[in-house]
Amino acid sequence: LCRGGLAERLCRLQNRERSAISFWRHQCISDAKIPSDKSGVLIVKILEMFEECTIQVAICQQLEQSPATLSSEDVVISAGEPILKVLFARETAAHLKNRPQDIIHIYPPWQKLLLKNADVPVIMNTYFSQKVLLTEHSETREKTYGLTKMLVRKNVISLAQTFRLDDLDDELRQESSDNQVACGPQIHNNHAVKQHPLGHSTVNDSLLEMVESQGAVGWRETKVRVVIQRVYCLPAREGYRSHIQGNKALRMFYRLCLLVQDAYGMFSEVQLQSLSSSDDIEQYCRRWEGKFCCLSGMKVLQRTTRGRALGLFSLIDSLWPPAVPVKVPGQSQDSEMMTTNLPPPSFCYILTVQSGEIHVEVDEEEQISNLYQPPVVHGLKDILQIDGCNERCSFWAQVLYLRLQTKHSVPINQREIWLFVTDSTLQDVVHVTPKVVAVSVAASCVLSTGMTEALGVASRPVFFKDALWGNGKIICVERTVLLLQKPLLYSAAGADLSELAGPVRLDELDSTTQANSVCALRGTVVGVNESTAFSWPTCDRCGSGKLELCPQDRGLLYCNQCSEVVISPVLKMQLEVFLSCPSRSQSTVKVKVRHKISYGVLSIVRLGIYEVQSVLGKEVGFLNCYVRSIISHPNCVVLEEIVLL
Amino acid sequence: MDSTLPAVAEELLKEIKKAFQETSHDTFSFRLKFIFGPSAVPALDLVDQRSVTRVTSPSGRAAYQVLGSSGKLYTCYSSCHFCTCPAFGFSVLQKSESLLCKHILAVYLSQAMGACQELTVSEEQLTSILLAEEEDEG
Repeated sequence: LCRGGLAERLCRLQNRERSAISFWRHQCISDAKIPSDKSGVLIVKILEMFEECTIQVAICQQLEQSPATLSSEDVVISAGEPILKVLFARETAAHLKNRPQDIIHIYPPWQKLLLKNADVPVIMNTYFSQKVLLTEHSETREKTYGLTKMLVRKNVISLAQTFRLDDLDDELRQESSDNQVACGPQIHNNHAVKQHPLGHSTVNDSLLEMVESQGAVGWRETKVRVVIQRVYCLPAREGYRSHIQGNKALRMFYRLCLLVQDAYGMFSEVQLQSLSSSDDIEQYCRRWEGKFCCLSGMKVLQRTTRGRALGLFSLIDSLWPPAVPVKVPGQSQDSEMMTTNLPPPSFCYILTVQSGEIHVEVDEEEQISNLYQPPVVHGLKDILQIDGCNERCSFWAQVLYLRLQTKHSVPINQREIWLFVTDSTLQDVVHVTPKVVAVSVAASCVLSTGMTEALGVASRPVFFKDALWGNGKIICVERTVLLLQKPLLYSAAGADLSELAGPVRLDELDSTTQANSVCALRGTVVGVNESTAFSWPTCDRCGSGKLELCPQDRGLLYCNQCSEVVISPVLKMQLEVFLSCPSRSQSTVKVKVRHKISYGVLSIVRLGIYEVQSVLGKEVGFLNCYVRSIISHPNCVVLEEIVLL
Repeated sequence: MDSTLPAVAEELLKEIKKAFQETSHDTFSFRLKFIFGPSAVPALDLVDQRSVTRVTSPSGRAAYQVLGSSGKLYTCYSSCHFCTCPAFGFSVLQKSESLLCKHILAVYLSQAMGACQELTVSEEQLTSILLAEEEDEG
């Protein structure tokens, strides 16, 4: 339970009450007194009873005095006596064994609740209740109790009966805002706003003032004008994802987010609506980054600090100090008072939309703000030499090869992806840095389906915006955006971003090669791991590996995809070969090789013989490979032949 | 005869809503415990932890998602009393022992106290939440 929370408080109160109840009951049994004129005691006579859930509802008549002082004949229902609905908890009802006509004394603290549209008051918290037995009839009564089991009618409560917590006037106010349905993706925002003017709302330019004056509840009336520095997607809350997904194929939910900055230099992250992964983040980036926008109808989700949101603050740091002087709060706004000499922000408000309202008016027509800081693009060579950790960096690189993490317990779109990239700064010059760099794309970095498809198809240049550099690695995490086109605005920092000239070269396998990298190698085949070798025929038309034997002629192969006999199947072979490589002569080099050999008309029986002998002693020249692992004892490098995109 | 308990529960929650704007909460704690029994403390705990999210779509449709103590996410409908948790099926549907499960109570309390988180999703996504199939274990 949360410390100091409501639950903990109730627990404590409950414990105290429980001991008070049992103490009181014990006292009643031992004292057996009938207090008649003690103030606060409610004296009731049960007329009718029924059960709802575990609560016993007793329709009672309130009596003026204890009936012990009256004879049984006098205790008659007279019109005009107040009627009450008394609720008894399960345990109390079991203790009392109520029956109609019983007289009950209800001791304080009991509670009364008046329902709006009903005349009959409700009495609850009736833990301290005692039945009064009229002495003359006690004997007969006991006999009756012992013999018959009391059947109490149980009312069935409909699930359709929900609770409405708002009073009528609250409801009216609610309805007027509910009519303004939130629009879908906000590309059409400008037009929508002109139709639903937010009235005479004033436009503010300070986020802090808005948050502090309006409170966490929301800003219905006023607007804040800010600059959109970055647009990105964040994956939806963890709990949210795991509910939908389980072990099956999944759909991820993402929220479109803006990192905005006001005229005082303060940042805020605004979480907008959900997108499915097929939405194109590129569109939003191109249309919105650098533009002014007015926020309204926001609510503060969180006030986060540097220590708690390292990712967010690494992005904010990359945009600090501001591009132009910003206002200083509390000072008169002469230009001399504006400054860029401020410490980097230590806190940031995360805002979210309130439902039912139009929130973000992006002024797409207007010019880019001076405050906007476009991404600074560096060549990969410079990035690899950055000193420091958790630095955001942007670059334009060619993706050569893609590798998906192989952990099967992790759902596909939560797996890490490795992209092997290069650019002209790494390719064209002979130097110490590698020719190809591995970039890790974490599941938290959102890739649109368009991007994922494009990456798998052919080698292409990709713009990596706000990737993270640290510990010698480039990683794409939350708030990193991968784009297929260069952004409209960027600052090139002297880097040469020309397209790659000539074919891509990989580093040759040597003693410095690391695991999880790509390289080229050449050598001679000295051995074959026959236990793992296998081959299979594929259709030469469609490439399908699922060929079957022809029913008519069992010597021929049939392709189901093409619905035709395969005359010249292409034999694909997977072998692990051991190579002797001059560039890394001290290691055993094991390469999983995929070989394609085309045959003429061939029967299945003969396919098996050709594998091993055709491969031994062969010179293998410049194979592109992925380094799976490097084992030091025995000195072995395990690679896999790859095809570059 | 019309049932009594729902009206009492509703009035109580309305009072809680009003009372929350004032200072003392103890006045309603006892009543909450009386009416809702063993669900009261767990529901308040869920409220303390801000576990309730109101999920809405552009058409105005809404549902609630409550992050249970075990880390599982349960869906509560807004149009009727329904929750995907096993306790609801058992205590409310099968045994008619309670009006609500702790998650539905937490939804109402969060509404009353302004502690609901908000999430806006597309129509498609809300539909899939409402139609969510049971997760296969293992």
